[in-house]
Amino acid sequence: MTERAQTGPAAAPRPKKKKKGGMARLWLLIHGWLALPLWAYVFFICVTGTIATISHELIWLTSPDVRASRPEGATERLTPDAMIAAVLAQRPESRVRSVSWPVETHFAPEVTLSDRAGLSSTVYVNPYDGRIQGVSGTVGFRYFIRALHGWLFLPWTGGGYSWGWYAVSFMGIPMIGSLVTGIMVYKKFWRAYLNPRLRIGKGARTFWGDFHRLAGIWSMPFVAIIGVTGTWFFVEALLSDNGVSISTAGVPTVLERETLPLVAHRADLPPVSLDEVIASARAAHPGLRVDGLWLPENAFSPVDIYGRGAFPLFYESASVNPYDGQVVRLRRVADQSALELATTLMYPLHFGDFLGIWLKLVYFFFGLLLSMMVLSGMLIWTKRTARETKAYVAARRAPAPVTGPAE
Amino acid sequence: MSAGIQRGHAATRLGRWWQDWRFHLNALAILVPVAAFPAFYHLARMDTGEAGLGAREPAIVQAGPHALRLVEFTVDPPMNAGVAGRRKVFRLALCPGCDDDIRAVHIRLGKPRSLRAAGALFSGPPERQTADMAVPDSARARDAIWLTVEEWSGATHQAQVPLAEVAPATADWLRRRKEGRE
Repeated sequence: MTERAQTGPAAAPRPKKKKKGGMARLWLLIHGWLALPLWAYVFFICVTGTIATISHELIWLTSPDVRASRPEGATERLTPDAMIAAVLAQRPESRVRSVSWPVETHFAPEVTLSDRAGLSSTVYVNPYDGRIQGVSGTVGFRYFIRALHGWLFLPWTGGGYSWGWYAVSFMGIPMIGSLVTGIMVYKKFWRAYLNPRLRIGKGARTFWGDFHRLAGIWSMPFVAIIGVTGTWFFVEALLSDNGVSISTAGVPTVLERETLPLVAHRADLPPVSLDEVIASARAAHPGLRVDGLWLPENAFSPVDIYGRGAFPLFYESASVNPYDGQVVRLRRVADQSALELATTLMYPLHFGDFLGIWLKLVYFFFGLLLSMMVLSGMLIWTKRTARETKAYVAARRAPAPVTGPAE
Repeated sequence: MSAGIQRGHAATRLGRWWQDWRFHLNALAILVPVAAFPAFYHLARMDTGEAGLGAREPAIVQAGPHALRLVEFTVDPPMNAGVAGRRKVFRLALCPGCDDDIRAVHIRLGKPRSLRAAGALFSGPPERQTADMAVPDSARARDAIWLTVEEWSGATHQAQVPLAEVAPATADWLRRRKEGRE
């Protein structure tokens, strides 16, 4: 069988591949078919994902509003209370809903406000003097590109995951398949680490073939990360939409009715001090990082503080009763199950957002490579795989080599 | 005008076109986000409040001294939230200044038996709060929506408004469900 397959009309692309058995040839066909029929769609996902990894940096480059630039003479960053006071002095009719301090300190803190008309907006605040530097759009670039990449803007209705989420994350499966079949098909690929080959003057087909293999062996870990995390997002959606939760977080914290102070009017309540709330949370868990917090959205809800764990792929949070400063809930790394931790790290691992800008640039580079691999794969495929498939099928069907179509 | 893929033996022009372009047609998938964007953007404007409080003109519900504005978030029948059952999202705006008196507002389909069973709690800034109301299996189309206002002073006020008035599609859906069961 194998011998007959080799006598098919399509010769293997490189001389050394001629020794390849039928299995390797089958792997090559599967490798070709995994992404090709959807190559433009996969390419689109790869390109948008690549842009998404550096979307925050792109905003930083194009908009001075989001930069944490230090004014002349300023030395210290404002405490949360001082910053909020400065913001509210500029927006006296507003109330604060949430604050976030981007992990990379060259970005300005973001404060989400709600005004008297009920309109919400997010403002960029200078961390040194509290000046409002700019207002984020209704759909900022970061959210735009993430929503485009993550769920194609398709709606999250019915309390379940968006169909777009399924459509995108499903492609993690062929991505893993491409990786595995790519390794199967590329015999002794490790040799190419020491002897890389990228022939430029021998025509497009040779160049793209070399590029595809070279980029492939160097981006194996990256493709594995993206494929596995993407596939996990698909599984996670399936589990969630079928009522399976792996979270140990439980229902949101609701303050006990008895712990609410007895006052005649809201105005009689002492103002909430974020500095004190954070100090209280840190007293309960000294290692807690504060990357952001949400103020209570109703009389029974706590202040929720969140931040990265000491190991940056994990997250921790604390909920503090705003009336008495008591920590009502703590979610340290140690409070989360191993499965939960293994699944929460899928997100930063997919985004490349856990070791600062350099890792983001690495992700961006490999994202570009992966996008180009989809493109080069398509170019190779159109020149080879269709032909090879016919030959492969024909060789197995007919007693003699057949040159006609056998689809 | 071959797109690079080797042709089969299609006889017709359409067949040849298909042979050439079939594996590039998935580029049309990019039209999906283009088509979905307006609804996505509208939802983002609903989230910030730029697109108004809810899906229609709010109903004024007078609960004791407080005139509350209540409106459904979408005009759709209740959504199926899986294990969370059927849900319907409402938006509420407190009267100006009432926030100083009002500690909480709850929403329930049907009359609550007690304050502890007053239903879903509204969350958010006083001018634009959101609650996710359960539509239980026992709900009927002629049920009223009950708002329970809890003041800081301890006083409570209740008010009701017909479901068909604030969420007609939900009332219709309940009516059809009842007919289907009979």
